[in-house]
Amino acid sequence: MAASRRVSVVLKAVRNITVQFCPFESNVRSTREFLAKVASDKARATNMNCEVITTVKHDRSEPVVDITYVDGERLVMKGAKLTSSEMLAAFQSRCAAKDRQTAAAKK
Amino acid sequence: MAATLCVRLLPKQGWLPLTQSVRHGSKSVTRHRKPIHLLKQKLLAVTKYVPPPRAAPLGAYPSESQKVQEDSGLLLILKNDLKSVFRDNKMIAVVQNNSSSAEDMMTLKHRLFKHGIRVKFFPNEVTRSFLSDSVYSSMTPLFIGPTVLLVSKEPKVKEMLSALRASPQITLLGGCVDDTLLSVQGLVGFSKLPSVTVVQGQLVSGLTVLTSRTAAMLGHHPARLSLLLQQHVRQQSPEEAPPPPQQAT
Repeated sequence: MAASRRVSVVLKAVRNITVQFCPFESNVRSTREFLAKVASDKARATNMNCEVITTVKHDRSEPVVDITYVDGERLVMKGAKLTSSEMLAAFQSRCAAKDRQTAAAKK
Repeated sequence: MAATLCVRLLPKQGWLPLTQSVRHGSKSVTRHRKPIHLLKQKLLAVTKYVPPPRAAPLGAYPSESQKVQEDSGLLLILKNDLKSVFRDNKMIAVVQNNSSSAEDMMTLKHRLFKHGIRVKFFPNEVTRSFLSDSVYSSMTPLFIGPTVLLVSKEPKVKEMLSALRASPQITLLGGCVDDTLLSVQGLVGFSKLPSVTVVQGQLVSGLTVLTSRTAAMLGHHPARLSLLLQQHVRQQSPEEAPPPPQQAT
């Protein structure tokens, strides 16, 4: 049930990823799965400068993923009602768009 | 049936042929499937017969209610292991390791083993089914994704936190210390607590403060004690008659 066959997550255009969630809530499964995929060895190997910061809280707050790109753009995803594949798809589409932009700018 | 009059058979104007072929051109009965005219197609589609849905006979499909699955042998063994882990160890911390290479894991295991903390891996299903039956059912939501258990007989939270700080990809989710469920903030606060003897000493000193002060005061020079007593008496007598001096001013 993978979203795409090439499941590799490329973090080239990402400066840092902040994930915060409360593990005792019931709506954090997708956020944790997203975190597991994004913070994996392969993903981090694509960009060693990208930081993945995880904050574990206990205040019944909603799980939030905050991604800051190299050009300053921010992608905020509230994972309470999203599935991990949806979050991954959104993230990867933004990354692909950024890559295309940089490739076009270089030319 | 369309009648076609060929132009070639009318050499002179106004002359009709003796025979007129009525059926000519496209045939009705063909060897191939003849395409139906669009209007006829639409009509057939609109007036198609839709049979009523018949319910499946009882017993044709299995019931939707879940059947209780018996645990397999391996599950039972792992559950027993878990039970002994929870029984023997005072501190159990749940940690998510997003990605740890084998080296990182080995370094972490080594660092933790120096303080007597062991690293245990159990499948989430086993843990969840075990926890739902036991007293620690509130820990069940922690076990999603790649989780690792850090267990130790003594609650050495401070050392564990310092070891985990060195590996950034491991996230502490929560823990159970002395049968008390703690969040991350709770564990941090627990680590900052002084040891039991220190706390006991502070409590004892707080309780004995008054009596120790009295004992110290009694040990003073008797002249000083009598002076204090006289001052006390003098303070008490003006308190009985305060109103007249205040009314004069």
